[in-house]
Amino acid sequence: MDLTSALQIALPEVILALGTLVLIVVGAFGGEKSTGLVGLGAGAVLVEAAAAACWGPMGQAFHGGFVADAAAQFSKVAIYLMSAVAIALGAPWLRRKRSAKFEYPLLVLLAATGMGVMVSAGDLISLYIGIELQSLALYVLAAFQRDDSRSSEAGLKYFVLGALSSGLLLYGASLIYGFAGSVRFADIAAAVHAGAGQGVIFGLVFLICGMAFKVSAAPFHMWTPDVYEGAPTPIVAFITAAPKLAAMVLFARALALGFPGATGQWQQVIVVIALISMAVGALAGLVQRNLKRLLAYSSILNIGYALMAMAAGTEGGMQAMLVFMVLYMIDVTGFFACLTALQRDGRPMERLEDFAGLVRVRPGLALAITALSLSLLGLPPFSGFWSKYYVFKAAIAGGLWPVAVFGLVASVPAAFYYLRILKTMWFDEPAGATDRTPGDASAIGMGAALFSFPLVLPALAALDPLATLAARAFGLA
Amino acid sequence: MTGLSEVSLGHYLAVAAVLFTIGVFGIFANRRNVIVILMSVELILLAVNINLVAFSAFLHQVAGQIFAMIVLTVAAAEAAVGLAILVTFFRNRGDISVDDAAQMKG
Amino acid sequence: MKLILTLLVFLPLLGAALAGLFGRRLRDRASQAITTGLLFISCALAWWTFYQTIWGGWPAHAVVELLSFIQVGDFQSTWSIRLDSLSAVMGVVVTSVSALVHLYSWGYMAEDPSKPRFFAYLSLFTFAMLMLVTANDFMQLFFGWEGVGLASYLLIGFWFKKPTANAAAIKAFVVNRVGDFGFALGIMTVFWMFHTIRFPDLFPQIAAHAGRSWTFAGRSWSALDLAGVLLFIGAMGKSAQFFLHTWLPDAMEGPTPVSALIHAATMVTAGVYMVCLLSPLYEYAPQARTVIVVIGAVTSLFAATVGLAQNDIKRVIAYSTCSQLGYMFFAAGVGAYQAAMFHLFTHAFFKALLFLGAGSVIHAMHHEQDMRRMGGLARYLPITFAVMTIGTIAITGLGVPGLNWGFAGFYSKDSILGAAYAAGAREPLGYFAFVVGTAVAGLTAFYSWRLAFMTFNGPPEWARADAHAHGHADQGAHALSDHATSAQIETHAEPDETPDHSHSGDHGHDLKPHESPWTMLVPLFVLSAGAILAGAVFMPHFVGPWREAFWRGAIFVGRNNKVLDGAESGPSWVGLAPLVASVAGLAIAAYYYLFARGLARRIAERGGPLHTFLYNKWFFDELYDVVFVRTARWFGGLFWKGGDQRTIDGLGPNGVSAVAAWAGRGLGLLQTGYLYHYAFVMLLGVLGLLTYALTVWAR
Repeated sequence: MDLTSALQIALPEVILALGTLVLIVVGAFGGEKSTGLVGLGAGAVLVEAAAAACWGPMGQAFHGGFVADAAAQFSKVAIYLMSAVAIALGAPWLRRKRSAKFEYPLLVLLAATGMGVMVSAGDLISLYIGIELQSLALYVLAAFQRDDSRSSEAGLKYFVLGALSSGLLLYGASLIYGFAGSVRFADIAAAVHAGAGQGVIFGLVFLICGMAFKVSAAPFHMWTPDVYEGAPTPIVAFITAAPKLAAMVLFARALALGFPGATGQWQQVIVVIALISMAVGALAGLVQRNLKRLLAYSSILNIGYALMAMAAGTEGGMQAMLVFMVLYMIDVTGFFACLTALQRDGRPMERLEDFAGLVRVRPGLALAITALSLSLLGLPPFSGFWSKYYVFKAAIAGGLWPVAVFGLVASVPAAFYYLRILKTMWFDEPAGATDRTPGDASAIGMGAALFSFPLVLPALAALDPLATLAARAFGLA
Repeated sequence: MTGLSEVSLGHYLAVAAVLFTIGVFGIFANRRNVIVILMSVELILLAVNINLVAFSAFLHQVAGQIFAMIVLTVAAAEAAVGLAILVTFFRNRGDISVDDAAQMKG
Repeated sequence: MKLILTLLVFLPLLGAALAGLFGRRLRDRASQAITTGLLFISCALAWWTFYQTIWGGWPAHAVVELLSFIQVGDFQSTWSIRLDSLSAVMGVVVTSVSALVHLYSWGYMAEDPSKPRFFAYLSLFTFAMLMLVTANDFMQLFFGWEGVGLASYLLIGFWFKKPTANAAAIKAFVVNRVGDFGFALGIMTVFWMFHTIRFPDLFPQIAAHAGRSWTFAGRSWSALDLAGVLLFIGAMGKSAQFFLHTWLPDAMEGPTPVSALIHAATMVTAGVYMVCLLSPLYEYAPQARTVIVVIGAVTSLFAATVGLAQNDIKRVIAYSTCSQLGYMFFAAGVGAYQAAMFHLFTHAFFKALLFLGAGSVIHAMHHEQDMRRMGGLARYLPITFAVMTIGTIAITGLGVPGLNWGFAGFYSKDSILGAAYAAGAREPLGYFAFVVGTAVAGLTAFYSWRLAFMTFNGPPEWARADAHAHGHADQGAHALSDHATSAQIETHAEPDETPDHSHSGDHGHDLKPHESPWTMLVPLFVLSAGAILAGAVFMPHFVGPWREAFWRGAIFVGRNNKVLDGAESGPSWVGLAPLVASVAGLAIAAYYYLFARGLARRIAERGGPLHTFLYNKWFFDELYDVVFVRTARWFGGLFWKGGDQRTIDGLGPNGVSAVAAWAGRGLGLLQTGYLYHYAFVMLLGVLGLLTYALTVWAR
């Protein structure tokens, strides 16, 4: 395979990389004034990359190190579009904060490139490159508000722990490489099938730990609440959405393509991680009064659900995981968009009591938050219900009904903390007027709310077959 | 060569494992300086590199060494990013002790 | 015939409705007259029916269908009046005693302000009881069963201002629910087995099902035995048998006429009646009958021993009733259903007599019920003394064996014990029943005569200066054993609390006992006649040579059941034994309470363990208090505080949320904010997963 066709297969990422480089030059020369231009350009690049991913050729490149299949396509489109939304959400917010920088869209672009590599990873090297490319960009994004101590602390924590997790992951990767004799998933699968030794298992556990960190699954979740709290809200909206999907797809790909002969084994580990995640996410969220931290725990809980579907180890499970992640991504982005839109006296509203009586002050946004909360809670007919429906169906079909039962139980305390938000907004005395809400963030929040219901219904009709097709790429039964 | 031939794969792996452990412990046993954490991260990556190169030599494959080169590269980038974040942190706090980075909790 | 039967059953209901609904407008006198009059008519009809059924031209078995009740598939139930010898006998008993009690209540309740209510309840009870005895299927039986339970509840709690009366009413209601639960289960079992609850459809089928078995509670039961036992549990509740007897003594909180009617003569015998009515079933349920014999014998013994040491005149009679019911049950249990019915019949007379006599004494003593406060009343209440003596002779079964002549109890008790002895030839249990029954005869004699002597003979304790201070000091002397008598203390205090029926006007607190008015004495005379004659007159019909012609198939007797034949042909000492025991009991009672008066009191005051044990009714109330009431309360508390608040709310909403919040706080505490802690948790996660994976995957 010549380089041209290989680059064609990797076209979306090539577009992103080149676009990033061009925009860096633009930004470097244009300075602060070019921020808007760079933002628009980044958006355009992302959309084009999404289009390239959507209609581009499929196949493998770089000796199987890069895979463009239905799963990669599916996730890339979602990731790039969400990244574009993140830019649309973040850039105006930074401008309002008088800290507009042209680096923001570029960092999002770089992270998106990393995510693209992640979901297309066909061997351990591209897995690592993808993860690092994404992570390094995210570390910087988390610390993006340089003059805010909390933001830099979030960045520092994210970085240190992320580096540790990368180390774990790498160490596992090196062991797998050594004992399986190859870095390519397909070869590893063959070696595992032939009966690889303890070393591979050792390595696999480290690999799983590293990736669990990236999806913020317990007990590797510790960074999540602090980073969510410290990082700027629109950036959290980005961190919590697309990278999670990318990491989940990578997770699934590494396990499904690299260790299909050991499904029973990794399934057990994933189940444990899923259980711990659900427990931690459900319980720790109860005592949170900071909405961003609350959503961090909510995301841990939801990753638990996604992992549960993945642990089923079936095509149905992967499909459920993909649908779940996409719907969750939209919900949570919408939620953070609403939080982005809300300010009081120039300060972000993050604490629960800030939202008291919001429905009388900002009925539109309150309604949007209500819909999104109910969706996260899993109430029919909101999108959260359908995503949970997929997940639980897959888990039960995969024989994981005890885990499903646990998941249902875990959703009760979760319901409590979502409902507490609603109670505060609807029934408490108003805490005072809010600042003027920016149109962009409100629009994204309301759009997500509208998507959670009723747009989800037609969307699901399209999403379901696409996700099925994507799940088939994992080659599971 | 005779001396080297006595050094088997196991020895390399053991050294790597020790380095890796030291690195991991360096991250959470150290409470004073974030720089030490960065060094620990480097140590972990170093351990991984030893692993990769040893395996590569053992397997007579080049992939491991390529991987190691890439890890080196990424490690450099990681260190740069880490230091940059640390600088902003220092600017805000005037301190880089690990204990100081506990503004957010719960 | 149909008209007569319908009137017989529904006249009391009419009376109840009139007195109950229009009592205020009718005034006391009219209400009393209406209910009593209607009941006397009903009673006359009952006797006429009885005569016609037994000797006249009426068919042996007739059913008057009144109204369709429930028609669901096999489950057919009809309001109807079943007439056969059994129901005719019961009709006579019920209406006679009821009519007399109505009349008696004119005098006894003279000072009560809510007479219409009382008479309405009485008539309502009578109606329900008649429904019970004329039931042609289990549904109506159950209806009557619950109807009399309701009336009983209302009448025990008639003096609703008295807390003890309310407690007793509730107790009766609750204990009966236990029995009713078994009864309902029994009915369901019967329906499950035979797909019918109608007696005429049911009885012919039973023989064919005799061998059927059913696994229940891990054991294989003969289905008929199971049904029999379950139904008997219902009877135990209604008839105050051992374990479920505790309500009956407390039921004495009700007015004395009520005790006489409901808790002596009629309602409590419903269980016995049911067992006899279901003789076709019990004949094929030997194990169930074994249970009945054991329970009946134990009850008779237990209640008799408790009766020995009671001081409340009504309670003595109540335990006596309990004991006599035990007689009836074990008679039925050994297969002598006729003897059981016979004893029921005679018992109704002499026990109603005793109760009404006791009522007369109480009336005379200004509602004093403690026998220790009486004594020497024979001089003041000669008529009452006479009738009470007649009743006592009747219950103790005195008679002249050679002449074969005696009072009512003489015949019925003899036939029961003879039958038990005869049954012993087939199964040793009969001998057991016989021995117990004989011993009980002696005990019965002792406590009955003790009652008579304490009340009518000896020095007039009531005349002492401190007597009407209600002897609380004396009660204090009994403090050791007196927690059982709290109800009695309340009873003493009752006239003060309820001035309704304290003798305020005419004689104030003038202590001189007075003979009762004629309305109370007439029933006593009538019942005395019954107590004297009922045995001698009806013995041949109920259990004697003419019994086939008398019962005419109303009671089914299996082919092998020859206990009654055996009872007649048994050895002569079997017939003499109860008499000897009875005379011995009389002698001992006379020694203790006539000739060595102080002795009994000293024994009682010394409070020996046996006396304490008996005085406190074998500590059954305490036992139940601990085992059931407190346990139930504890369980209730557990379920409420522990279960509902702590477990359901606690583990449920509150507890889960508390635990969850606690866990959440704990997780929050883990989230210290320190990097090294986070890294440490991650490392722990790695190590944990590694260990887990290696353990799990090692397989």
